[in-house]
Amino acid sequence: MNPRTRHALEFVLDNLVWFMLLFVLVVFSIFIPNYFQLGIFANIIEASSVLGVMSIGLALVIIAGHMDLSVESVAALSAMAVGILFCSSGIGMGVQLHPEWLMVPVSLLLALAVGGLIGAFNGYLVVKVKMSAFIITLASYIWVRGLVLVISGGRSAQDLAPAIRWFGIQRLIGLPLTAWIAIACFVVFSLIMAKTPFGRHLVMIGGNETATFRAGIRVNRNLIIAFVLAGAIAGLAGWLLAIRTSGASANLGTGFLFNAFAAVVIGGVSLKGGVGTLPGVYAGVLLLSAINTAINLMGLPANFTLVIHGLLVLAAVLLDAFKQTIRQRLA
Amino acid sequence: MKRILLAVFGILALAFATLTPAFAQSKGVVYYMVPTLLDEFQTGSVSALELFLKQTGYEMKTLNADNKTDAQQSQMNDVIALKPAAIILAAVDFNALKPSIEAARAAGIPVVEFDRQITSTPSDFTSVAGTVEIGYVAADQAEKLLKAKNGSVKGKVLQVLGDPGDPYTLDIQKGFEEKMKAFPDVKIISLPAMQWEASNAGTIVADQMLANPDIDLIFSHAAHLSVAAVASLEAAGKKPGDVMLMSSNGAPVGLDLIRKGWLNVEVEQPLYAQAAAVAMFMDKVVKKQEIKPGEYDVLGLKSTVTKETWGPNIKIPGAAITKENVDNPAFWGNQKPPTDTVKSVE
Repeated sequence: MNPRTRHALEFVLDNLVWFMLLFVLVVFSIFIPNYFQLGIFANIIEASSVLGVMSIGLALVIIAGHMDLSVESVAALSAMAVGILFCSSGIGMGVQLHPEWLMVPVSLLLALAVGGLIGAFNGYLVVKVKMSAFIITLASYIWVRGLVLVISGGRSAQDLAPAIRWFGIQRLIGLPLTAWIAIACFVVFSLIMAKTPFGRHLVMIGGNETATFRAGIRVNRNLIIAFVLAGAIAGLAGWLLAIRTSGASANLGTGFLFNAFAAVVIGGVSLKGGVGTLPGVYAGVLLLSAINTAINLMGLPANFTLVIHGLLVLAAVLLDAFKQTIRQRLA
Repeated sequence: MKRILLAVFGILALAFATLTPAFAQSKGVVYYMVPTLLDEFQTGSVSALELFLKQTGYEMKTLNADNKTDAQQSQMNDVIALKPAAIILAAVDFNALKPSIEAARAAGIPVVEFDRQITSTPSDFTSVAGTVEIGYVAADQAEKLLKAKNGSVKGKVLQVLGDPGDPYTLDIQKGFEEKMKAFPDVKIISLPAMQWEASNAGTIVADQMLANPDIDLIFSHAAHLSVAAVASLEAAGKKPGDVMLMSSNGAPVGLDLIRKGWLNVEVEQPLYAQAAAVAMFMDKVVKKQEIKPGEYDVLGLKSTVTKETWGPNIKIPGAAITKENVDNPAFWGNQKPPTDTVKSVE
């Protein structure tokens, strides 16, 4: 194989998930009526904003060789906290701040703080107390959702303050601002992962924690930061979720965890840690959103939706495994 | 580590001490097996049943199955061992709980079905609005709305179901589509909002409004799904009244949407009446006395008790809530529980 072919092949393998996304979009556009239109593509990006942001935090922890199963519940708790304070109907307290725009940073900080605190709690138990991340974050997944139920009493908050809801309504180049926030998050965290010592250290820790420690890198500190970031980013996802649905209900975000995992895996992040990039994760999120949109537009019988969804995800993961085989042959 | 464990156990002990109610004299303890507490109807059903059963002399304890059939089966087994005065069951899965109902009744514990009718095995009493019937009422309202808009009953309806694994939503769909068959010019697009999650409903509406911009009416199977539908419509630049909306269950958020002009109709599940009926007949259920068929007044609603193959069944009609009657305090969505005391049926 000549170097040029090899280089081209490696480029395709490195960005396989983007090619899969392109392929899927083309196929759906050809075969599904009404799929090929700018509005639908904008919907795909918009619908993926919450899941996308949530996947960033999850990906950081997985790349660092750990697990955070709590992100879905953390997002729900943040959304509910924002909903209770800044919604005016249902259980919303309708808190008003003057000037009105202050509600945006305050609600955002609240969501980030809620998420960050739970992330710090998870990180402390995993890193300092040396407990299994799987178990600790599974427990958090359960108790945090329970806390949502406790503080909401099972009721919902509705009618989010217009100053915050503005992000879900205003559009920039055809996309709602919530989608731009998600895109900005991917750009910022991709740069952090690729260009900063913190990002590189996370990859190294995920690859081999002991070797990284022996190389003099502060493994514990980096891991705790990763957990805090995962929590805070999940909080941001919750903030976006509240904006998107103009409030919060007790079951908000249910099922997002598994979709986030699917997106991260499809995006090429290894569950063993040490491998993966955030642009790949974003492509994974968009791919899932494109599939969901296709299912919505095809109007398939409700019972088949999950089967089709699962099979398409399986196909994507199998393709990823095939990619690894080819890569090994190239090496 | 030791300190953390001590702190955790301390908090748990304090929580148990605070949350465990003092023993009260009553006619007995009734267990309510609620399918989930993640929606407002179910949460409301707990407080309504508790209120009315207290008025008729019973203490109620609630167990939440978190929408898991196996969890509810285990809970049933545990409760049977506790030998309560009765079990009120709102089943996660209508058929899977059949053996548990039979086991409870074999152990001498009467079982009352609440909200979700189980016809495959006898029970001691059933109080339902009728999920299929909610679909019928919704179809009647859809007929009126489409006729008013298009001159005749024609057009396109987007039906946003709840989770496709939940018989509750499937029954509403069955009733709705069964009645709408009479109108061949109405096209119904049905899509599920997985796990009853609001943002899933929002995505469906956003996609469908692009693929089928001529949708006349959106029918969501729960009010909280309509909230997300409205958010999507708003994001698409729609104003109240641009697209007709309808939902079912009568939750507070649905009533708010009616007041704001977004929602045309909310088909109510008569939560208070359903719960009051259980309390009214609880003495007869516990004493295993005959429940006579006929008309009964339940919180001012004319309700009918019939003798079915699965036992005595009270059906309380669901009402259509519109802008005209939205403030009626009888609707549970207005969160004003009846002040009149419920009395046991003699």
